[in-house]
Parts: sequence; C-alpha cells; structure tokens
Amino acid sequence: MKPEEFHRILEEATLGSHEALGRIFEMYAPMINKHSQIGGKLDEDLKQYILIHIALNISKFHI
Amino acid sequence: MNHQQDYEDELRARFTKWLDIVIYRAKLKYLRKTETKLETVSFEELPESSQPIYEDDLRNIFSSTDFDFEEERLADAFVKLPIKRQQILTMLFVEEKRPEEIAKELNCSAQHVYDQKYQALKKLRIELAKEGDGR
Repeated sequence: MKPEEFHRILEEATLGSHEALGRIFEMYAPMINKHSQIGGKLDEDLKQYILIHIALNISKFHI
Repeated sequence: MNHQQDYEDELRARFTKWLDIVIYRAKLKYLRKTETKLETVSFEELPESSQPIYEDDLRNIFSSTDFDFEEERLADAFVKLPIKRQQILTMLFVEEKRPEEIAKELNCSAQHVYDQKYQALKKLRIELAKEGDGR
C-alpha cells in the first residue's frame, strides 16, 4: 500500500468510515491477533473487545 | 515530494505506536474486568474435603513444592562456599549493605568485595546447574 493511500484510509477511518476502519483492522491484524492472546491462545472475546476499543477511539487520533 | 513521503512514513509510524498503546490499554481493561468476574467462595462455603484442617496437612502440601526444593538446593550450594564468601553474600543480600560498607567492616577494598561476590555467584550457578542436570 502506498503511503498516500494509507493516509487517505486513516483519515476516513478517523472520520467514521466503517469500510476504512475495516481496512485498518485488516492491515493491523497481526498486531491485534498477537495482543488478543491469553496464555498463548487466541481469545475471541478479548479480540472483539480490542476491536471495539479501537473503533471507539480512532476518532481521537490526530493526523 | 520527499517531504511528503517523510510525512506519510512518520504518520504511519505514529499511528502504529498509538494503536499499540490503545490495544495494550484495552487488554488491561479487559483483563481487569474478567478478573473481577471470577467467582469467589468464602472459606466457610468450601466443602470439608477442600479444607486443610490440620497443620500436618498444610506441611504436607507445602513441603513438596518446587520452591522449597529450589531453596534447599540453593542452601546446599551456599554452605559449600568458603566462609568469607558466605559472609559477603549475607551482608550484601540479607543485610543489604553496600560493598563499600562491607569493605570497611572486613578491612579490605570494595573491589575485593565485588570480586568475591562475582566468584561466589558464579560458583552457586555452577553448583545449581550441576545438580539440576543430575535430575
């Protein structure tokens, strides 16, 4: 992905675009999955909690 | 063009860091929430079979733990050290004295204390590793 495309997606995500947010989730899936583990196993509830937390807070990120 | 590129890269790095922190905080919150959800049972509600009633029972439970075992091995290795080194380690780790204070008390240089500490810890590590392999 080109940097300018990332910029556009991030901007849209911070403005509330669900599609852009989905792209961000895809892009950062390895990081999200890594942190969603408890005792070496993926915890789906924790993953959902993290995704919701990101969705609720992404508008606070200043570009 | 280069400045724009730098800005985009910086933005991505900044967002990645921000996201890492957001995820970390979310995980902490989640763990705290689930931790408080854990059911607690009062001691009175425990079935009798789960209650260690006698002191001997408690002793039996705790005497077989790895922790005690490790401690015993460490103690064995410790007594094999020369008296002077035992004394220095005790002063350092039990009495929590500074090497300079110990040097004054033992009438030697601080460097000597450091050397003795290094040698003693090295010896302890070797002893513990040796006994560990033998199991």
